[in-house]
Amino acid sequence: MSALSNLLPHLLNGLALGLLFGLIALGFMLIVGVMETINLAHGAFFALGMYVALTLIAPKLPWAAGAVSAWMSLPLGWRYTIALLFAPLLVGVSGMLLELAMRRTYARDPLYGLLLTFGAAMVIEELIRLVWGSTEKQLPLPDPISGAFLVGDLIYAKYRLFACGVALAAMLALWLFLERTPYGALIKAGAHDSEMVRALGVDLARLRRYVFALGVALAALAGVILAPIWGIRPHVGVDAVVPAFLIIVLGGVGSLWGAVIAGLLVGLVVGITGAYASEWSLLSMYLLFIAVVTFRARGLLGRKSVLDA
Amino acid sequence: MDEKKNTTERPLVVASRRRILKASALTLATAGTYGAAPFFGPWKHNHVWSQTAQKKPLVIGLTMDSSGQYAASGMDERLGAMMAIKEFNAKGGVLGRPIEAIHMDTETTPATGSRVAERLITRNDAAFLIGAIHSGVANAISQVAQKYGCIYLNSNSSSPTESGKDCHRVKFVWDGNGTNFALAIVKNAMAVNGKNWVMLTNDYVWGHQTAKAMRTIVEANGGKIVEEMLVPQNTRDFSSYLIKIQQLKPSVVATAVGGDDIKALRQQVVQLKLNKTAAWINNQQDWPDVYGLGPEAIFGVFGTNWYYRLDLPGVKEFVAAYQATYPGVQIRVPGNTYYNGYMATRELLRAVERAGTTNNIKIIKELEGLKVPARDRMQDFDAYMNAATHQLQQTLYMATYNDTPADKDDIFRILAKLPPKEVEDPDAPGACKLESYEATPTYEA
Repeated sequence: MSALSNLLPHLLNGLALGLLFGLIALGFMLIVGVMETINLAHGAFFALGMYVALTLIAPKLPWAAGAVSAWMSLPLGWRYTIALLFAPLLVGVSGMLLELAMRRTYARDPLYGLLLTFGAAMVIEELIRLVWGSTEKQLPLPDPISGAFLVGDLIYAKYRLFACGVALAAMLALWLFLERTPYGALIKAGAHDSEMVRALGVDLARLRRYVFALGVALAALAGVILAPIWGIRPHVGVDAVVPAFLIIVLGGVGSLWGAVIAGLLVGLVVGITGAYASEWSLLSMYLLFIAVVTFRARGLLGRKSVLDA
Repeated sequence: MDEKKNTTERPLVVASRRRILKASALTLATAGTYGAAPFFGPWKHNHVWSQTAQKKPLVIGLTMDSSGQYAASGMDERLGAMMAIKEFNAKGGVLGRPIEAIHMDTETTPATGSRVAERLITRNDAAFLIGAIHSGVANAISQVAQKYGCIYLNSNSSSPTESGKDCHRVKFVWDGNGTNFALAIVKNAMAVNGKNWVMLTNDYVWGHQTAKAMRTIVEANGGKIVEEMLVPQNTRDFSSYLIKIQQLKPSVVATAVGGDDIKALRQQVVQLKLNKTAAWINNQQDWPDVYGLGPEAIFGVFGTNWYYRLDLPGVKEFVAAYQATYPGVQIRVPGNTYYNGYMATRELLRAVERAGTTNNIKIIKELEGLKVPARDRMQDFDAYMNAATHQLQQTLYMATYNDTPADKDDIFRILAKLPPKEVEDPDAPGACKLESYEATPTYEA
């Protein structure tokens, strides 16, 4: 096998991995970009999304056996689709509660927001342990997206393609929402000049609440999508929050396409080092980060600021 | 100057970059210690003095992970140690003293292991330390323990270095190690599956040393390691590794991967159905790492030192006691990590009783001469402590998935049972240089 044909699957796999990294970072980027808040509970909501989806797909409620069995008689594909749509929604609503608690931290030292969301992450993780326990769980997948297929003489998981499709769709949907709808315009205006937006009669508190909920819902969506790949355990969110943070800084804080490009770059670097210098596969994303930030402190698509002077 | 006024075109983001960067440093620092135990120190050094005359509680420090890669196994071994302590306390403690356990999370991090050990010895007057899954953590704890002379039981970590170059007079190792399991599994796997091997190795001391042991046996028997891929700890995506394995087309994939990493790996292998295209062996499979994964993910052949359905005297009662004491736990039956936590603690407390003192040197000598009948350990062969390496030599089992389970937890099928003499590491005594008794500080608490 030639070197190129050897490399090609890793390049493609790296791009797929990058889309998943991008998806993980999407909600984090939205909240940092619009609300100037680093949501350290991002990983916890990512994990919560997994568990809520698991409950929707295969509920274990001893007090409603009849309803559960009726629900379980639905085909797995339907239950999975409902979980994919409703788990982010439900987790997004829970995100609104956290946003309510965060209001007292607005316009204060960012440390308050950090501490609050860090505390919230620990509370959510412990709640997960209480409700679902601490053992490993698996998200059942419907047949059409489980299993594998052959590409040449290589086997690839069908689910990875599905996951990449969802990631791509989420990125495009978010972009369309922000760029092509009046709500997106309001969000951007609120981020640009909140006083003016408030003066125009827009309920900024409500706007922030919805933006936070959307960011949290995106974290949960990433959790649902990554669940069959990473596995489900209460502390799985820790594995999501660090790459998410790295990607948004690498891409330029608050830049949607910056986050997408950074995600793809991280995926490529991790994927290729995983194959050819595996001991560097996790470290490689940090090296990439250092390399980019050394020469471009504002990240790939970040705007020029006083720091660049 | 206000940064907002300095830009002509606004991005979606208006976060002040200074604030973001300031917060970034905090974020990385905080994320890195996510779920961390409280910061300890600096503190005053406290001398430990004898409490025997005052009948104070005998404090045992449990240095076990509740977070990080080995959180699940750490919690499991803690239950085992607590069970042994409960049994002794029910009989009035040891030497007339009640036993008190203090647990501190070692976070699957060697630096935390050192800090916790130091604190337990100097501030909590711990008489003994017990616990570790991660060999780097075990090594860190044992260095501190040796400095004070405090006996430390490495209950579950399995790097051959623990009873080799990193052995200590105060440390006793209770699990089989990578070399023992390699001796149990590799030859047979070569005969059955072929000679071209790829290794997936967790990139830390246990993985390295276990892979080294496997490589030695493979090569000595005419096999070839086509590739060894190192897996950094906390790897969650194995797709590039699995593509590479397909390109290499090995006859056997040998893994020395543990904790949350092996859980993710197993699930991803099943998604690609690679469990059907190559033979997989996992040097050692801890029970909490497979429990709940589902039958399909328990593929390949692996090693263990105990199983809850061994048809031996005492096993059923042991399982029943676990279920009665811990009715709410999600792991419904005890596994190897629980068993090792229990056995290590029980044997230590018995040694204290036999010695009639908590003096470290006397207890060390008791443990060095330890012999445990098979019946008492619920294993197939008698176990004994190797006085030269401080590792318990015991029965090891080769297992695979059980496709005819007697109940839903019955997921292992035992393929072979190997007596300790067959799997004893012949090189360990040469590598282990125990400190002399005289060079080990006297310690009594």
